[in-house]
Amino acid sequence: MPADRPPFEDIYREFVGRIYAYVRAQVMSSADAEDITAQVFMNAYQAYPRFETRNTTPAAWLFRIARNATLDHFRAHGRRERLQRTVEHQPMDEHDPAGMAEERIRYQALLSHVARLPERQRDAISLRHSGLTFEEVGVLMKCSEDAAKMLYHRALKVLRESVKEEMA
Amino acid sequence: MSDEEDLETQALQRQLDDAFQTTRPRRGFEDELWSKIQARRPWWQTARAFFAALIGGIRHVPPAPAAAVAILLVLVLGIGLLGSLGRRGGAGGGATSLSQGAQRGGAGYNPVAGDFGRLPMPFLLAGSGVNDAAPPRAVSAAPAQARANNLYFGPANLTWAGQLNVAASSAPVYRFQAPSVDDANKFATSIGAAAQPGQADLSILGSYSSPDFTLTVAYGSKVPNREPFYFLTPTANSSAPGSTAADVAGAYLTTHRLTPIWPSSVVVDQSGSRVQLLRQFDVAGVGPVFLIDGVGDRYGLDVHLNGNNVVQIKGPMPLLAPSAGYRIISAGQAVQSALASSPSGVDRITPTPTVRLTSAELVYALVWAGDHSFYEPAYLFSGTFSYNGTTYTKRVLVPAVDPSQLLP
Repeated sequence: MPADRPPFEDIYREFVGRIYAYVRAQVMSSADAEDITAQVFMNAYQAYPRFETRNTTPAAWLFRIARNATLDHFRAHGRRERLQRTVEHQPMDEHDPAGMAEERIRYQALLSHVARLPERQRDAISLRHSGLTFEEVGVLMKCSEDAAKMLYHRALKVLRESVKEEMA
Repeated sequence: MSDEEDLETQALQRQLDDAFQTTRPRRGFEDELWSKIQARRPWWQTARAFFAALIGGIRHVPPAPAAAVAILLVLVLGIGLLGSLGRRGGAGGGATSLSQGAQRGGAGYNPVAGDFGRLPMPFLLAGSGVNDAAPPRAVSAAPAQARANNLYFGPANLTWAGQLNVAASSAPVYRFQAPSVDDANKFATSIGAAAQPGQADLSILGSYSSPDFTLTVAYGSKVPNREPFYFLTPTANSSAPGSTAADVAGAYLTTHRLTPIWPSSVVVDQSGSRVQLLRQFDVAGVGPVFLIDGVGDRYGLDVHLNGNNVVQIKGPMPLLAPSAGYRIISAGQAVQSALASSPSGVDRITPTPTVRLTSAELVYALVWAGDHSFYEPAYLFSGTFSYNGTTYTKRVLVPAVDPSQLLP
């Protein structure tokens, strides 16, 4: 292993919580978030021998894998079903204790607002608040840093209105 | 954008930061997944890692005949096995149970060395990296204000240009046990809240409600480095008397029996919407010493306000934390350790920056260790450097406890 590459376990321990939070903001069930997070790190583990720190940061690399895994999940499970659930704001499956537990956590409502944003806006918010720089967000979303900033602030405005509407 | 919209946006960003930082998988998921990943390793990688660790552990042994090495390997394996079996019996070693008074961190502790046995080391959490071309990035698991500070945790050439005097040769270490659901229930009951029905679950200790607030008590975690904590959100009667934000927060905490018993320093942000009770520990000969989080920022209990109304309280769950005295290293030794320290993160810029560490202080850091966790003294060094026109801060944390009392 090259000297400049930390052990995979260090990367794993550092990022597993943040990747889970990112995925959780995209999908509406903690069980799905766990499955996708597991897939992300299985994929990352297999690809780690080819990971080059010169080309990208561990964060950008992992969030790219997470983003792709989430998109794969939507493709496999049907985006329509997910949107339906999101729009109707259905409660969690009663047989999903982890999901029910999270439902009660303070910020669940806010994340559900994030999940209802259009895809690119949701991604901009989620990636930024997962700790990526605008430059990294731009690279992942295939746009410039300035465009990423604009997208983020537009998303923030939409989110603010959405939260206010619900409170009104 | 109007001032009001600007404030709303800032508040929303703060909530998003908190939401992404506090949303974590259920307890046990991290280790379960790591076991699955490990199970996918080819057997020769597992064997190679095992022998690499073993050889690394005995690297300092002088050269010896092959037969002697073989005997040594057998002995090491046997002793290691027995040792690991023995350790399962009780983590934490021979700790003494002290009184409630010890939790206050005051003069009551008895500086007897090493009552908790050898301790895990405190450290700053690694930031996620930068590549050679990009500017260094703040630790992204950190709160927004830490990110704004442009913290850098990667390699640096360090020099020391400050003053550090610590008139103490020992300091208390505090240990607390991971709370149970029953502990969380007792805490909730003590402030007048009752468990919501059907709340047993995996990811939080409990959810509760009272006529005028809801309460969630959550587990502690290693990343982000955090003790068990609670969120209290008023649902009614959230106003409290007071002419300043600190007074309002203090009045609400008192009324709801949430005033912490630990010493603290009160800080109010510029907008008056956030009051922080920064936690401190008293060290004889030094005075109050601040508790820092995983990136080196002071923290404690947060009260968010909107005028005279409390919007939310976030604070550590009150826990009994007995203390034991430990020898600490001198200021001079701390400086030497800081200068020789290796980076705590995977951030990296080229060329390696030179940083003049200009300030240092004794602090306390939470060291998460599963069933038991510790508040340990440490020296926090800080200095700045410029890169591509931006000023960055480099922080180095040196364990203050004598190295002989620390786990490798």
